[in-house]
Amino acid sequence: MAAVQICEAEKVYIMHGVRDDLRVDGRGCEDYRHMEIETDVVSNTDGSARVKMGYTDILVGIKAEIGKPRPMVPDEGYLEFFVDCSANATPEFEGRGGEELGSEISSTLYKVFSNRNSLDMKALCIAPGEHCWVLYVDVLLLQCDGNLLDATSVAIKAALFSTRIPKVHISEDEEGTKELELSDDPYDCMRLEVEDVPCIVTLCKIGHRHVVDATLQEKACSMASLLISVTRKGTVTCIRKVGGGSLDPESIFEMTETGKRVGKALHAPLMKLLQEEEMLGKKKQKVGFLG
Amino acid sequence: MLNNSGLLPSTSASFTLVVGYTAVEAVMPADSKRVRGPEESQSPLLFMPSTAQKAAGPEESRGDGRQRDQVDVRPVFARCGLVSQAKGSAYVEAGNTKLLCAVYGPREAERKDDTDMKAGRLVCDFRFAPFSCPKRGGWIQGSEERDAAQALQEALRPGLCLHRYPRSQIEVNVLVLEHDGSVLAHAVTCASMALADAGVEMYDVVLGCALRQDGESYLLDPTLAEESGGGGGGENRGSVTVALLPSLAQVSALQADGELREDSVNAAVRACMEGCHRLYPVVRRALVNAVRKRAAPPGDAHS
Repeated sequence: MAAVQICEAEKVYIMHGVRDDLRVDGRGCEDYRHMEIETDVVSNTDGSARVKMGYTDILVGIKAEIGKPRPMVPDEGYLEFFVDCSANATPEFEGRGGEELGSEISSTLYKVFSNRNSLDMKALCIAPGEHCWVLYVDVLLLQCDGNLLDATSVAIKAALFSTRIPKVHISEDEEGTKELELSDDPYDCMRLEVEDVPCIVTLCKIGHRHVVDATLQEKACSMASLLISVTRKGTVTCIRKVGGGSLDPESIFEMTETGKRVGKALHAPLMKLLQEEEMLGKKKQKVGFLG
Repeated sequence: MLNNSGLLPSTSASFTLVVGYTAVEAVMPADSKRVRGPEESQSPLLFMPSTAQKAAGPEESRGDGRQRDQVDVRPVFARCGLVSQAKGSAYVEAGNTKLLCAVYGPREAERKDDTDMKAGRLVCDFRFAPFSCPKRGGWIQGSEERDAAQALQEALRPGLCLHRYPRSQIEVNVLVLEHDGSVLAHAVTCASMALADAGVEMYDVVLGCALRQDGESYLLDPTLAEESGGGGGGENRGSVTVALLPSLAQVSALQADGELREDSVNAAVRACMEGCHRLYPVVRRALVNAVRKRAAPPGDAHS
């Protein structure tokens, strides 16, 4: 992971601050940084979103293509994740340097989204056993400033919300060959239900306490982190412990409790914001990459 | 094929067969080492009637006589020192799950630019043998194996004193010979036994235990049928894997998948920790036996 090197004195400073619920930038232990979300930033995609959290900058583009469904589940579509760590973020990511981090993030995303209740996969089916929609979710890390997974999951949720999949009409010939017709009207499209899509909360253990949304400096002080994926209702869909240190069982219970609380509180404002942005419609001012 | 040509009513059918064979041979560069099936073949498992509906209801007991909602792990057979070429090795059998682990090292790190001056590196490799799962797997490492290797590395790291091996790397290779459930948990146990057998300095052995939450009851150390059964609907269904350092009571790995309530997760972690404690005496005895066998002088037949 793109990490900074900090000296022992800085580590002690951060740990003492966290112990007193005061972090370097003045936040409390359970506060997120200011988040900026914008959807529909890339016009070539079927859905896209950009999330800025501190200096962390994530861009997600979703493209829908027609493919063959998986043999074990013929009446469902599926998602394919690909995470690319851009060399703009750090020189370490140049060439194949960011591949390890990218594959780690994408395997976590696969695990989080493999839960059957997150996204209605049956809505992505066109003809059972023959055609289905495959959503290719491409995540681009433009800048890394800690807490990549949280920002990525928020960006994916926003991008899925803004995804417009064209409606498909199947017509059959006399010979029985099926033909797929996509409607020409750009507004005749299908939207996805993203109410139950979970958001990931990463909690880093620093000293005896844990912090949400750690910056790179705070990450360097922490030996172990817990990754929790929480839905809007507060159900926990995936828990992972990451990092090279070990955790006390009591800390795990406390961190799960905090993660659930923080994650649940993240969903309502996010959906409200996305719906407000949608309401603006043509009046929406595009901020883009220069804002 | 050539024998059958006598039985076929028309010669033209057998002729097409021959043509098909040579066409394939002309297209593919002569790959004489692997016999691949035709392009469109599917596994027969897809056509078998699904046995998931027959999975045990809440009142029924498990297939092999163990109890639900009880800390009932499968009896474990563990032996160290099977691979003579490796520095340390271990073989673990739990029910039908069979795993073999070999440890090489501490060795000089391969990639010089990654050499850490202060501490050693732990490199884990996790493989499923192609015949280990019901559906044949390939030899190329799949994503599940990469994830398991990453999880194994995170589970073992807190237990090792890597600061005692600066500029070196320790390689752990796990091979699953038969997959019958809770493979990652048993791989952690097997790997830490192999590390201890190799003489790598450790704070404690790392033991793993897995659990499958099925509605209101849980199944500890699930078999493959229990792990994959009961899929789809139902509240509170998921699996939890915990790796524990028993004498320090520290959790070094935690993976929970599936929609679980918070109290179920807490209860599951506690049950897995209890399961690890049950395994501890078996592992200790296997390590002591291995040391005794190694230390026995040549003339002494008894270990």
